[in-house]
Amino acid sequence: MPDMNTLLAGIPAELTRLVLALIGLMAFIGLNGLALVWVERKVAGHVQRRPGPYEVGPFGLIQPIVDAVKLVGKQLATPAGADKFLFWLAPLLSFLPIFLLFIPIPFSENLVGLNTNLGVLLILAFAGLNVLALCLAGWGQNNKWGLLGAGRAVAQSVAYEIPLLLAVLAVSFQTGSLSLAEITAKQGAWPWQWNIVVQPLAFFLYFICAVAETNRAPFDLPEAESELTAGFHTEYSGMGFGLFFLAEYANMIVVCSVATVLFLGGWQGPVEPGWWWFLIKMYALLVVIIWFRWTYPRVRFDQLLNLNWKWLLPLSMVNLLATAFAVKLFA
Amino acid sequence: MTNQLVVQISFAIYALLIVGGGLWAVLDKSLIRALVGLILTLFGVAGMYLLMAAPLIALMQLLIYVGAVVVLIFFAIMLTRAPAGGEECDKPDVRQLILALLGALAPAAALGFAIHKYAKAAREVASEIAPAVLGKVFLEPYVLAFELISVVLFVAMAGAVLLGFERRRAK
Repeated sequence: MPDMNTLLAGIPAELTRLVLALIGLMAFIGLNGLALVWVERKVAGHVQRRPGPYEVGPFGLIQPIVDAVKLVGKQLATPAGADKFLFWLAPLLSFLPIFLLFIPIPFSENLVGLNTNLGVLLILAFAGLNVLALCLAGWGQNNKWGLLGAGRAVAQSVAYEIPLLLAVLAVSFQTGSLSLAEITAKQGAWPWQWNIVVQPLAFFLYFICAVAETNRAPFDLPEAESELTAGFHTEYSGMGFGLFFLAEYANMIVVCSVATVLFLGGWQGPVEPGWWWFLIKMYALLVVIIWFRWTYPRVRFDQLLNLNWKWLLPLSMVNLLATAFAVKLFA
Repeated sequence: MTNQLVVQISFAIYALLIVGGGLWAVLDKSLIRALVGLILTLFGVAGMYLLMAAPLIALMQLLIYVGAVVVLIFFAIMLTRAPAGGEECDKPDVRQLILALLGALAPAAALGFAIHKYAKAAREVASEIAPAVLGKVFLEPYVLAFELISVVLFVAMAGAVLLGFERRRAK
């Protein structure tokens, strides 16, 4: 079959790379989920002057595996009166796009699933699906806490997406590219050559909006456990909740990776470039996000929206305009 | 040859997504489920853009429609809390059905006829256009058309505001 051969000869290089990348990413996301749960609990513990998990395994390292086994073992219950289809579609919709978000991220010069010149756009386009999943979850479960959580998720994500996009746009104006590889390449190895020096305001805006978009404290209003029980995932048991949880951590990794690429020079670390610099910067940002959660009290909903519409949005507009002018004047 | 086959199969899948999603959106009684149908359609359209070697437009389609417009529609449905058993749920009479089908087919037929009769010389294989080139083209030769699109959006927005005011006055 010559046809089959040409088919296999034409596509494979890209396809094999993609499949391999996907398998690698699955392992990466799963392992990171476990590791971050442990880090989160340890950081929380030490912030609150207690040891955190320490019983299971050395330093409590086996604790997340025990948690995961518990989650997997639980029964999946659908509440009465729930829209069964939407209810179970939501966690899947929240988790599946995650792989697409990771594919264009350059962990090092060659360690990238798909080298596309629209990497930033790809991530932003598919990140929007997570909100949709929260909405469907909140609506489908026939629970007032869930519905309130979904309503908050919509208002919050629609609001914070705008300054986030504008902050990212400022960087891509400056670089003249939407390709993550090219944005990395245009920055140097040393901290004063990174985009954060030229675009400190954009980084600040991006980071705040990223925390809000991933529904992390102090912006975790869609799930606000002290007001809404668990918000959009109130009725989910076992892995239904597990998928949302994993998706949240994966989304945190994505926003931190994008911040690393856009502002912190990506894998081009000081001295010797390589994937380790990427991971070090990414995990540093992740720890900052976790640190935020256990430091700041949750904002009120009107404060959340006021902060965005009165401060972040105008600031990001000004930043974008200033960047555009500067690019025209100096470049 | 085989490449063409792959393209044809993908075209079929995307077309099925578009038509199936559209039918789902029209026929489902629950508004939120209908919205899921709409999302499928939008994904299908994005796939079509990909087939036409326009990944930028495909991703923009997802970013704007799935990421923003659908979420806003969801917001509107949630705010109005439309019950799933309204008067639209009754079986429509045959005359209405036929007229609706005619109304849906007429533009498609007119457009199809126009495309077949005055076919523009199309390329055998679509070539990708860099975002920078696209931006330049939008702001130089096609600036009028580009700006007109924003006028359409503005008119739609003004119309919505106007409708909102009128309804409030009627109360």
